[in-house]
Amino acid sequence: MNENETYVSKDPFDEKIEQLSPADREKALKVFAEKINREFAVYFNSCVHCGLCADSCHYYLTHQDIQSLPAYKLGLVIGIFKKYFSFMGKNMPGWVGAKSFDNRMVKEWVDSLYGRCSLCGRCSLNCSIGINIAALIRAARGALAAIGLVPPGLQSTIETAVEKGNNMGIKKDDWLETASWLEEELQTEIADPAARIPMDQKDARYFYTINPREAMFFPLSISAVAKLFHAAGESWTLAADSYDVTNYGLYSGDDETAGMLSDRLVQGMAKLGCKTLVLAECGHGFKSNRWEAPEWLSKKYGFEVKSILEVVAGFIREGRIKLDPAKNQEPVTLHDPCNLVRMGGIIEEQRFILRHAVSQFIEMIPNREKNFCCGGGGGQLAMTQFSQRRLKAGGVKAEQIRKTGAKIVATPCHNCIDQLMELNKHYQLDVKIKTVCELAADALVL
Amino acid sequence: MLTFMKFGVIIAFLFSLVSLSYLVLKTFSHEKKKLNAEPRGDWKKGIIYAFGKGMMPWEKESARNHLPTYIGGIFYHIGIFISLLYLLIVILAIQLPAAVILPVRVLSLAGAIAGLALLAKRIFSPVMRALSCPDDFAANIIVDIFLILSFLHTLLPAPSPVPVPVVTLFLFASAVIMFLYMPLGKIRHCFFFFYVRILFGIFYGRRGVFQNNFCHQGGKVFLIINFLVFLRALVP
Repeated sequence: MNENETYVSKDPFDEKIEQLSPADREKALKVFAEKINREFAVYFNSCVHCGLCADSCHYYLTHQDIQSLPAYKLGLVIGIFKKYFSFMGKNMPGWVGAKSFDNRMVKEWVDSLYGRCSLCGRCSLNCSIGINIAALIRAARGALAAIGLVPPGLQSTIETAVEKGNNMGIKKDDWLETASWLEEELQTEIADPAARIPMDQKDARYFYTINPREAMFFPLSISAVAKLFHAAGESWTLAADSYDVTNYGLYSGDDETAGMLSDRLVQGMAKLGCKTLVLAECGHGFKSNRWEAPEWLSKKYGFEVKSILEVVAGFIREGRIKLDPAKNQEPVTLHDPCNLVRMGGIIEEQRFILRHAVSQFIEMIPNREKNFCCGGGGGQLAMTQFSQRRLKAGGVKAEQIRKTGAKIVATPCHNCIDQLMELNKHYQLDVKIKTVCELAADALVL
Repeated sequence: MLTFMKFGVIIAFLFSLVSLSYLVLKTFSHEKKKLNAEPRGDWKKGIIYAFGKGMMPWEKESARNHLPTYIGGIFYHIGIFISLLYLLIVILAIQLPAAVILPVRVLSLAGAIAGLALLAKRIFSPVMRALSCPDDFAANIIVDIFLILSFLHTLLPAPSPVPVPVVTLFLFASAVIMFLYMPLGKIRHCFFFFYVRILFGIFYGRRGVFQNNFCHQGGKVFLIINFLVFLRALVP
């Protein structure tokens, strides 16, 4: 290189987009076409561009730019549908807002559909027609995934899960050692040598899965659940191999990989002969394995799939565990993870548990299915190139938390925990972030 | 001339009906998504919610925060349906009593005003402009003209004077344009709206998202608070 020339380093991902060939784009369009089912085709003909979804999106509320507006993001997807699959779009594209799928559009898809959306579905709930915007954006992500355009951080998380069996790349020996160490800690804590963290126990009633982040960074979440199972005298097990509840294929839009990851839990269930698959406190893990995996795998499950919250709430209702709310004196608020609540239907269980476990429970406004996303979903935590946007978008949640005056934010989701921890620091909220089961375990009367 | 125009409206309507039916058939030719996950809630309750409470401003934040647009939208669509019925009555040359004409007149005028207000919003709001394509403006203008002409037609004395008033001819001409445009542009959403609401209801209903909506602890209190917020929003 001539020394007078300025070397400008290009982002390899952007370069990849610029170098896309017509054949690559055609492949993406083919995958996009394959994803168009009856439901999607109806949605594509229904958006009236009313713009009323704007305020429902935490990205739009915090950024106030048109690119963050849900109808605009959806328009990028519908524009492609119109251009290649509709009569008017083919013949009068400018008139109906049809758009060519060129490299510039691909770049805008990546930026908007991956970088300005956490697939929280709040816009869908507020759409004046009722379009499932999140589902359409995910389908479009899937077309990008088909040509290798999943942002690097998200893709590497998926690859780690595929290759190593869990998304943190934890080795089997390390996992078994962690579980064994946690078991010893539990026995010491409750002074009961009979307390167990069972591993690969055949015919146990509950097959419990975890988010690998728990094993790596939040082992107390695992101990808390073990303590609750032990107190209830329940038959349960962890698995040495298939234990990862997460599924980032949900976020990349790659149904095949997503199905393969979820199928590992199905295989684990079959191997151990357990009755119920119990999903840890993980929003997207719940949505993936409870609602989406049977569709990805095109089969009905022959077993029950439950959230750990349903199980613990059941223990309380049946009087199998006793909680003393006086053990958690600080005011607690609850963040509802979108994938668990709005998309998953687990709404009252966490409230029921918290009312038994803490002295002061303060609801955020709005809450339940209408709650705002924290900004950590949609794979945002893994896509570092969009992290500044993610933090800014989390401003809505930070304000919600501040208004409650709570000292503890409970949330049944490890992605949400990571985002809330960052928001806590960034917006100086001065709160502690805990899972619901951690609070329940703290309140346990043994 | 009148017979020719009436015939034109009928042909345009049939064109619209056939084209939209073809569009629906084409849409329905796509594979139906098979739902394998065991339901947690009742899809029927979801559909009831989707067509009832789920459209109310105290339940839906987007409606509550944009009340003028929401109310305008309601009047606009009521005006359109009433004007379509009125068009049928005019074509069939049925004489309506004055007591019936009056609400038609009021609702078609209200619909026209609402339509023009929504058009103004689309033109003057930078966000709405950025979201819109020519089809959005065209669809609105075509329907607005039809509503205005329907309103003007209701002002004519009954029975219709001879020769045929120009308003009648223009009403028929606007109906022809509207019916011809319907399958080509966004007006087609009228055919899909109800199906989308059903899909919405099934999605959330199966997952048990709305079944708890009324019965959760404090839910009614939350609803009342939302209703009060809605009432407060009505006060300038």
